[in-house]
Amino acid sequence: MNNKEKKWGLFLLIIVLSAYIIPYTLLSDVTKWYGSYFLWCVFGLIAIIANFFLTKDWGDEE
Amino acid sequence: MLVWGIIIVYVITAVIIAFLSKQGNQKTMASYFLGDRKLSGFVSALSYSATTYSAFMLVGLAGLTYSGGVGALGFEMIYFMGVSLVAIFGPRFWLVGKKYGYVTPSEMLGDRYQNKWVAVVTAISSCIFLIPYSAAQLSGIGYLLQGVTNEAIPFTTGVMIATILALVFSYIAGIRSVAWTDSLQSLIMIIASTIVVVLIVNQLGGISGFFKQIESTDPQALAVPGNGYFDFWTFLGLTIPWFFFSISNPQVSQRLYMPKSMKSLRQMLLGFLAFGFVYTIVSVVWGFSASMLFPDLENADLATATLLASEYIPSVLGIVVMVGIMAAAISTIDSIMLTVSSLFSRDVYKNVKKDTSDRKQLLIGKLFIPIIAVAAFLFAQLELDLIAVLSVASSAGLIVVVPAIIGTFFWKRGTATGVITSVSMTSLLVIGLEAFSYQPFGLASGIWGIVVSTILFIGVSLLTKAPEKKADEFLSYIQERMKS
Repeated sequence: MNNKEKKWGLFLLIIVLSAYIIPYTLLSDVTKWYGSYFLWCVFGLIAIIANFFLTKDWGDEE
Repeated sequence: MLVWGIIIVYVITAVIIAFLSKQGNQKTMASYFLGDRKLSGFVSALSYSATTYSAFMLVGLAGLTYSGGVGALGFEMIYFMGVSLVAIFGPRFWLVGKKYGYVTPSEMLGDRYQNKWVAVVTAISSCIFLIPYSAAQLSGIGYLLQGVTNEAIPFTTGVMIATILALVFSYIAGIRSVAWTDSLQSLIMIIASTIVVVLIVNQLGGISGFFKQIESTDPQALAVPGNGYFDFWTFLGLTIPWFFFSISNPQVSQRLYMPKSMKSLRQMLLGFLAFGFVYTIVSVVWGFSASMLFPDLENADLATATLLASEYIPSVLGIVVMVGIMAAAISTIDSIMLTVSSLFSRDVYKNVKKDTSDRKQLLIGKLFIPIIAVAAFLFAQLELDLIAVLSVASSAGLIVVVPAIIGTFFWKRGTATGVITSVSMTSLLVIGLEAFSYQPFGLASGIWGIVVSTILFIGVSLLTKAPEKKADEFLSYIQERMKS
């Protein structure tokens, strides 16, 4: 893996682990829209942004 | 009847599009099964979405939300984030696919580990899980059409329509017609289902009214474990196989060979992520709405059908979505049929029978497609227990190849014996656990699948001799190309 992949890969790994841990700990009693619902949506968006940057230099060589 | 009218419009449009997609002659394996590795980013993205999101989303995921609340969103989002694996594995599949001419992921494994039996075993293991999975999709369509039309379209008729359409779409121009009809389906579906959700949320008092209503009637639905449906270990067991879906399921990982450039591959990935994000939220909001409007359904899988048939949705829109769900299942099945037949001809037939030409493999592949269709049709009709078990086990069963795939690109010491042992033994383990509904230490079969296959792959590989020359050549080529 090149450096860029390592950097963004690690970042995504942390997001995925947080997506498991936070809802089952900090947010398990938050029964509002801004609880797990909001968190998972935000994490989904963060994943899109991370993929955008991770793949930014892919060229059109066939 | 309106239902038949809309089905006919859909069939005619899709068949026309399938014919328009035809370009040149599909006379080689790579042209028939991979579209000559020349698919554009746009079609790749829509087709990838359609293949991934089967009828499961608007029926199953909505049902899961209905029963267990927001945990269903978490489940789907973990899968969604798992598609980031394409950003790491996608370019690697693509590069070696072009260099060595791979048509299937199993072929790649066989060559990388320098043993044809690796290809045979991984291909057979995929087929064992994917054919029953297609059958389950078919019965899903059968029940849905039967339910929504009040038996005007009987179960068998629904299943038959879907089987024939899947067959026609794969036959007209191979992956090209599948990809183009997939694109039609996913575009219609994302638009129609979004309109439905907007209509319903409006009737429930807009976004703030929608959440206020959940917060007051069923607050536990907004947290996990909530009502207990999604306890942590259940959640982990459900999500682990799906996290690896993009590299474990050959009908999607084969897609990584098809885009014409890395740029198209990127468009495929980002396009899918945009589509998937919207579709996930739509399906979950859909399930929440059903739980507020119809809190007393006997079976959560009826949530979607009940919502579509209700007075909240204009009937034409309800039927369009209905037909869209049928098309979603078809778009998943036809891709699986093509992938399974390419696995059979390229990895089983070619390796068992010596000196087969590309042309002969294509012929065998094409002959195999209707056989799979008939098998899936019969399985859907018979509703055998074993088929149900294999279909449920499919996401967990396909995970067993993940260590071998990771090893292909990142571990020089991986060996053919390691792959064959881990894939065959762990497939049997997963089937056994599912068949007896047994969860040792309370852990689901998917977790055992990934843990045991990893231990076997590493352990057996360390005891056997790795194909050093091939591993060096393969990995240094990728390293060279992925430098920046």
